[in-house]
Amino acid sequence: MTKPIIRIHNQETNEVIDREMNDVEFAQYQSNQAAQAIAKAEAEAKAKAKADLLAKLGITTEEAALLLS
Amino acid sequence: MAKQTFTTGQVLTAAQMTSLQQTAMAGGAASAKTASYTLVAADAGSAISMSNASATTITVNTALFAAGDTVYITNLGAGVCTITAGTATVNTSASLALAQYESGYLDFTSTSAAIFVKGAGAAAASGGMTLLSTTSLSGTATTISSISGSYKNLQVIVRNLSFTSGSTLNISSNITNSTWIRTNNAVTYSRSQTSIALNDGATGQGNNTTSAFSMNIYDYAVTSAHKTFDIRLGYNTDRFVMASGFWQSNSALTSLTFTGDGVDTFNGGSVLIYGVN
Repeated sequence: MTKPIIRIHNQETNEVIDREMNDVEFAQYQSNQAAQAIAKAEAEAKAKAKADLLAKLGITTEEAALLLS
Repeated sequence: MAKQTFTTGQVLTAAQMTSLQQTAMAGGAASAKTASYTLVAADAGSAISMSNASATTITVNTALFAAGDTVYITNLGAGVCTITAGTATVNTSASLALAQYESGYLDFTSTSAAIFVKGAGAAAASGGMTLLSTTSLSGTATTISSISGSYKNLQVIVRNLSFTSGSTLNISSNITNSTWIRTNNAVTYSRSQTSIALNDGATGQGNNTTSAFSMNIYDYAVTSAHKTFDIRLGYNTDRFVMASGFWQSNSALTSLTFTGDGVDTFNGGSVLIYGVN
């Protein structure tokens, strides 16, 4: 499996290296992917719950904001 | 070597050739001074270095040099060395004062006039900015490593940033512990973070190209204090983020890493790092 590429620019030597992630970096990358997927699912669930509640109450987002202001 | 008058049939010695080579490489015969000095004719084509903790002068008089002669001058000392017109005229488009590690050369246009051409110092002693690196953002992460520790502060300019999907720019460093406050449509306080996440609370930069933005990092190279930073970033059509905080470590900051939530791929952009004194 091809791992993502990262770039390292050594300012002292001006050398630029593009290389595949090593195992540690790739493990962190996969962890980040998992965390992002969870966050995305939570945000979508929250948005759906909010929309469902508004529909149940029969009011719009603006009207809900007015109630809470 | 100092300016010479060669004669037909003269045989040059190895020492003379070495000195000529040095001059050809814009060095010139070294002539170290430790006190204020008045140039003499033999200084033509030579390189004078001044080293004194107090202020000094290099005085330029007439009738010693010919048009086309040059004299290189470098100030190694903490005291400012000022090129001073004695009986000659000395003009410059910059300054006649050389701070420590600054240098320049006198370019004589006649026997009585010279232009002082001042070069950039190795590092600005006070004030001024030096561009240290320009890096194109690429891959899933881009790291600028071995950042010079010779300056007081860093200014980081990011231009034309964009990702391939909907990610948020994250900035981290070799110091893994940061605390920051982010203000946008809500105030977010985060402590002990491994990176600074720059979204407005919901929406990241995504694949929209951002406006240029800056990040300042103060006392980044000291080993006796935390490293404070501030960032201002505008993006998309109506998003703006301000963030400030610090890296909680006395270690010197030597690298910066840019990612898109640690998962996205850069679609473009560049990072310019300036050293500021």
